Amino acid sequence: MEPAPDPQSAYRAHGAALVRKAERILRNREDATDVVHALFVDLIPTWNPDVNLPYLYRAITNRCLNMVRDRGTRARLLEREGASAAPVGRVKLEDHVVGVGLIAALAERLDEGHMEVLVARFVDDMTQEEIAAHLGLSRKTIGKRLDRIRDEVISLRGQEVAG
Amino acid sequence: MSTSAANLACIGEPISWLRLETFAAGSPDASVDTHVAECPACRHCLEQLRADTVALPALVMPSSVKKAQRAWWKTAAPLLAAAAAAAVIFIVAKRPGGTHVVREDVAIVKGVGEVILGTVRERGGAIAEDAHTFAPGDRWKLVLTCPPADEVHTDVTVVELDTKPYPDRPLAPATIACGNRVVLPGAFTLTGAHANRVCVSFDATTQACVTIAPE
Repeated sequence: MEPAPDPQSAYRAHGAALVRKAERILRNREDATDVVHALFVDLIPTWNPDVNLPYLYRAITNRCLNMVRDRGTRARLLEREGASAAPVGRVKLEDHVVGVGLIAALAERLDEGHMEVLVARFVDDMTQEEIAAHLGLSRKTIGKRLDRIRDEVISLRGQEVAG
Repeated sequence: MSTSAANLACIGEPISWLRLETFAAGSPDASVDTHVAECPACRHCLEQLRADTVALPALVMPSSVKKAQRAWWKTAAPLLAAAAAAAVIFIVAKRPGGTHVVREDVAIVKGVGEVILGTVRERGGAIAEDAHTFAPGDRWKLVLTCPPADEVHTDVTVVELDTKPYPDRPLAPATIACGNRVVLPGAFTLTGAHANRVCVSFDATTQACVTIAPE
């Protein structure tokens, strides 16, 4: 897919795909639409014509993670998540489809780099090779980060059972 | 989406959503073509995104580029008219016995003019414009009305009156291209038992505010 020459063209070309991506993280179309709109508003003054869909995907991941980290927004997202339709869980994490609750819990334990891999693998359903190319990292690094993510999920589950 | 759709499993390694989106947008990819022909889960995902309709809010572009190309008199004429109008308002407001109504939702921003702050409240799918009461679970957005061809920098603060003295900043600062009820990026919720004063600052000294009370 070719980069778009200006923000309006990019918004028209990629806006819907980005809203769907944000919705898979936030489980809420209104918030997903807001986050995409806000991203483009911010990009307008410093628009780079090389911006393409993979770049925008990463930007949306980071913005959605920031929303989930915010306690007030997180509470609202969790409240609305129950009313949203169950997503197609093609890639599961320890037998769970990754939702707002798990992302929020892991965001308390993992840094941005790990969270980006979490979303790429378990929300965007990318392969390890794809994630490595997408994030500009080695496959070995991606593998290590996925191991750490699984460890944290197991630890979380252990705490839930113990609690 | 049905429960059965949620439980669909891929026959191998799933095609990522990014590749599906790129494929659906018209970029040929033989491996995607082959896979979705055989895999019900990935085919379902592709069909889902092809059938999906997204209502995107308008992206209002600042007209600073256009401004540079305009003849000077086209720029100067509205400015002179605005200056004349401002002078008339000033004179009228200063007249003895003249009434001067101060609206907290209106700010006069240097270089832009009048900026009016409005609200949009979403409650269980119902939209109310310029509502001034909140209940738990309401989702709020802010809208600004200001002269087209200008832009304003916005910084939103929310203070729960009679409680904490420090403000929350629920929305990221943004630069907005002016227009009629232009939506500020993002949304927020209001909590607590007291009224909330929601303000948009345009510079160090200029802001427009609305007060939203609990029901």
